[in-house]
Amino acid sequence: MNLVEIERLEAFYGDMQALFGVDLTLAAGECVALVGANGAGKSTLLKCLTGLLEVGGGDIRLAGRSLKGLPAEAVSRLGVSMSPEGRMLFASLTVEENLTMGALNKRTGPWSLARIYDLFPVLMERRTQLAPTLSGGQQQMVAIGRALMANPVVMLCDEISLGLAPIVVGQIYQSFADIRREGTAMIVVEQDIQRALAVADRVVCLLKGRITLEAKASDVSLTALTQAYFGD
Amino acid sequence: MIWIETLLNGIFLGALYGVLGLGLALVFGVMRVINVSHGEFIVLAAYLGAFLAAAFPQITPLLFVFPIVVAGFAVGWAYQATLLNRVVGAPNPLVPMLLTFGVSIVLRNLMLEVFGSDQTAINPGPVAQASLVVFGVHLGVLPLITLGLSIALFGALSYAVRHTTLGRMVRATADDPRIIRLMGVDPRRIYALVMGVSLALAGVAGLLLAMRTSFNAASGVDRILISFEVVVLGGLGSFWGALLAGIMLGVTQLVGFRFDANSGLLYAHILFFAFLVVRPNGLFGARR
Amino acid sequence: MNPAIRLLPFVALIAAVVIAPLTLSDAALHLASELLVVLTLAVMWNLLAGYAGLMSLGHQAFFGIGGYAVFLFANATGMAPFWGFPIAGAAAAVAAAAIAPLLFRLRDAYFAIGTWVLAEIVSILAQRTDALGGITGVALARMDAIDFTRFEGQMFLAAAATALAAIAGSVWLLRSRLGLALMSVRDNEQAAAAIGVNVWANRFIAFVISAAGCGVAGAISLLGGLVAQPGNAFSPEWTVIMTFVVVIGGIGTLEGPIVGVLVYFVIREVTTVALGLSGSWYLVAMGAVAIATMLFAPQGFWPLLRDRMQVSWLDVQRRFPSMDR
Repeated sequence: MNLVEIERLEAFYGDMQALFGVDLTLAAGECVALVGANGAGKSTLLKCLTGLLEVGGGDIRLAGRSLKGLPAEAVSRLGVSMSPEGRMLFASLTVEENLTMGALNKRTGPWSLARIYDLFPVLMERRTQLAPTLSGGQQQMVAIGRALMANPVVMLCDEISLGLAPIVVGQIYQSFADIRREGTAMIVVEQDIQRALAVADRVVCLLKGRITLEAKASDVSLTALTQAYFGD
Repeated sequence: MIWIETLLNGIFLGALYGVLGLGLALVFGVMRVINVSHGEFIVLAAYLGAFLAAAFPQITPLLFVFPIVVAGFAVGWAYQATLLNRVVGAPNPLVPMLLTFGVSIVLRNLMLEVFGSDQTAINPGPVAQASLVVFGVHLGVLPLITLGLSIALFGALSYAVRHTTLGRMVRATADDPRIIRLMGVDPRRIYALVMGVSLALAGVAGLLLAMRTSFNAASGVDRILISFEVVVLGGLGSFWGALLAGIMLGVTQLVGFRFDANSGLLYAHILFFAFLVVRPNGLFGARR
Repeated sequence: MNPAIRLLPFVALIAAVVIAPLTLSDAALHLASELLVVLTLAVMWNLLAGYAGLMSLGHQAFFGIGGYAVFLFANATGMAPFWGFPIAGAAAAVAAAAIAPLLFRLRDAYFAIGTWVLAEIVSILAQRTDALGGITGVALARMDAIDFTRFEGQMFLAAAATALAAIAGSVWLLRSRLGLALMSVRDNEQAAAAIGVNVWANRFIAFVISAAGCGVAGAISLLGGLVAQPGNAFSPEWTVIMTFVVVIGGIGTLEGPIVGVLVYFVIREVTTVALGLSGSWYLVAMGAVAIATMLFAPQGFWPLLRDRMQVSWLDVQRRFPSMDR
């Protein structure tokens, strides 16, 4: 049994349908890259996974247990966490306070403040600083750290590289090895295809709410991917 | 000497005004909702205090702070959970404000029907007579206790918000109620907690205020205006600013009385308006 | 549709208004006048809040200023008080114009609170000014300026004319360039300024017009009671009524205030007449309806009805930013 099973998932914003029967599975420790143009449904899929958006049709199962109808608070406690698009740190809290917020769901596991500071030493230096005063890259580290503090079994990363310098992005992606070593499954939404292919085991492409390509990252051809990305 | 006493009394009264505004500031800071019914809950607490004082004449009314805090918290929680949570975060900020406006009208007129329009007050008992003489100045014990309580409440709240996990959760929810859900926290429960604390504070202030001035069912209007003025003058997001603003208003009111008896809140209102025009962001003009 | 046929309802309306004083009882006329005053207030409040985006919680100040003005005018000149109605509107307009530069420094919720505090200041000052009669207020010095056999009828006509003018004026205003400018400011101040709309001037005009309308309404209402006292002239209850009527009816729509006044009338009649309850209960009922409206139909009754009936009545085709939750 896979860790995450997404079966014929449909999602709606009011009357507008955003996902049309998406099937996807994820095994423990696996990293899947989710790519696609803007509006393809990537963030929508992540929202369904975290419980921020209602499952409109089909099902999502985490370790066999259905997430349908569960609110985000409950899904979080089951071990799904996310570094949201745009970081979304708590602006009036310090770095350390932001990180400790991540641990509120009281899950146990390998991640702790000490380990996060090991992973991102620069955060240790700035731990009493207010979150908005950090650079973009450092804020992204806090966002990831905050998600890790929840000791998730599934970690979702939404557009980590957005607005960051390549060198910084590289540093952040290097930390992924540690994350996966703990057995955490990851879904990474990325605009930067090369980056996505480099870090993932599999790549899935969405277009207008449907999956147009699913392949091993090492195998996929750029032409096939381009076609799946933009459609015919 | 009389001016010093006036000043001091203004500070005592003003600190109480600060507590009045503190509850309102909390709700606005966390939920971005202006609770127009705040004034009516202050008056409701005063009526509860009057009721308790009549039912238990042997107990000094100051002790009623305890049941009123509990009652205020419970009512606040229920208010938020049943009504306000349905409209917090509505795309139009008028909606929650108008809902609380509706609640304010319902409460005020219900109280008018049930209690009538006669002025009431709570007799504080023997403690009202007690006073200390410090450097030749007469200081009432009751006002001193009120001041102490007010400062303690400010301090406790300030500490809780800055240094406890719950306080951080409240701040985080205020920053981003959607993201806090990703951490397993239901913002609606945080809001209920905040409203509970807000009305508990309103209750304390209402009780203490009723021990120094009379009130009736329509007094909510004066109470809410003072609360607003404290919040706005103090600048949002600043607790100690609210205390300072309250003191300014209290001193202004009592100094105004010296020149112009029966001026009521006139000079406080004028001060508020003048200040606001000069510094639209309040004393400590924090972020909105 | 033949334009003449579209005008028919309005012609019928005007005919009904003109005939009413001849056919209705004094009591009925008095009630009708009250409702028309509330309608005027609601239309004016809606103009400011729904279309200009400025929510005032202190409009009772202009109501009272108008009220006092008509009495002072009648007592000073000895003329029939009805000539004072335009004076009342002008007085309120002047007051609004004078206070606007200060008030407009405030935004949103601060503006609302500022208006409320201002209204309190005005009320307190009126209570303490001997020239204005203090707490007992001002009454007509010479009762013979009024012919009481025709009083109710004349008041009704004044109220009806004011209400019609308010509605017609609003429709005309909002279909004009000024209306478009107002709503652009309401919807997005920065964008409006960026395209050259004078934000301040537009708000100012709306504010002054709204105040003037309330002033005339106040004059009519208080003259009907033959005395202007701080208690009735500056009562916050007027703002409560204005606000609830508009909000329940449908803020930002022209039909909303009309529907809201009907709801107000029904609630008031049911509670005070049918159930025989004392005055405060109808306010409790209004408050409860307002709460329910905010919970279940924040757009108000009219948009609810309109969407179901697919009808467009006085529509100016301009929508209030979503009140939906």
